[in-house]
Amino acid sequence: MLRYFLCINLLMYVITAHAQVTFPSNEGERARYSAYIEMSRGYVSGVCILVNDEGIIKGCIFNEFGITALDFSYDPRRQKIHLYSVITMMDKWYIRRVLKKDLAQLMRCLQRSETSYQNVRRNISYLFTPIADEVTQ
Amino acid sequence: MKRYLLLLWTFMSIVSISAQTLNDAQIRQRVNQAAAAMKTMQCDFVQTKHLKMLNDDIVAHGKMYYQQSSKLRWEYTIPYAYVFVLNGDKVLLKNKQRNDVIDVNQNKMFREIARVMMSSVVGNCLLDDKTFKTTIATTNGEWIATLVPQRKDMRQMFQKIVLHFNQQRAVVNCVEMVEKSGDKTVINLKNIRTNETINAAIFSVH
Repeated sequence: MLRYFLCINLLMYVITAHAQVTFPSNEGERARYSAYIEMSRGYVSGVCILVNDEGIIKGCIFNEFGITALDFSYDPRRQKIHLYSVITMMDKWYIRRVLKKDLAQLMRCLQRSETSYQNVRRNISYLFTPIADEVTQ
Repeated sequence: MKRYLLLLWTFMSIVSISAQTLNDAQIRQRVNQAAAAMKTMQCDFVQTKHLKMLNDDIVAHGKMYYQQSSKLRWEYTIPYAYVFVLNGDKVLLKNKQRNDVIDVNQNKMFREIARVMMSSVVGNCLLDDKTFKTTIATTNGEWIATLVPQRKDMRQMFQKIVLHFNQQRAVVNCVEMVEKSGDKTVINLKNIRTNETINAAIFSVH
């Protein structure tokens, strides 16, 4: 009996571990990451959510307290980022330009299951660690 | 008859307006008294962030500790580990990657976050007329205060902040922060304990 329960337990663990999506490649899938962006002047940390909506990846990054930093979408076919909104204190044309390029690179990395990207020229590093889905609900 | 009715209507309007004002003033006074009497507070919290664009919710859990007059520890435990400790002018930020101590006077964003969190939890932002325009409504067992930011830097972050007070204890039990984009964060405070000794190490920023 004990072995039987152990077996079920192990099976459930394998299933939930497998269910953790690292990139939402299929329609309706979603992925959640602990986001950490480090620059020479400081860093930004928070949570990033990605949702596949009819082949387009919609994303949002917000800090731990829930304040939204940016909303964006990524078209995997054209490999382009569209920024919908950026928090006022970061909403400058030159920041938007860097963010668009870096987020596109980061999305490509996440598609390959790589969780980090470094913009060497600007000395910005992005680390997006997947958050297990079952504990977020 | 018509004149009599008009007079009665005017009189009733004046009475109801005075009662409303008095009521608001009394509520503010009760909240202020409760805040002054609250030397410490500790609770669990559940934070639900609703993302309008993605139509998705993300739920985080944690613990909160407060000690009069300027000590606050806000600790997320699930699904991410993150600690925010405010002690006077210093803020400790602790995540998986690093620990940082920031002077709130040198960082505008953290100064605002620290101020909003502290005054929301204690409830004394009801008295801050310079920062917020406040309206108070009474429902079954709750006072609901809607705070609309008046200052530009606050308006950049929040459309409004709604505080739910437990009428019996005059203590906040829910905070809603609505952003300009329509995204909303709701923080429910649970298992609230007041005026119990809290270990000083909880508020250490070193």
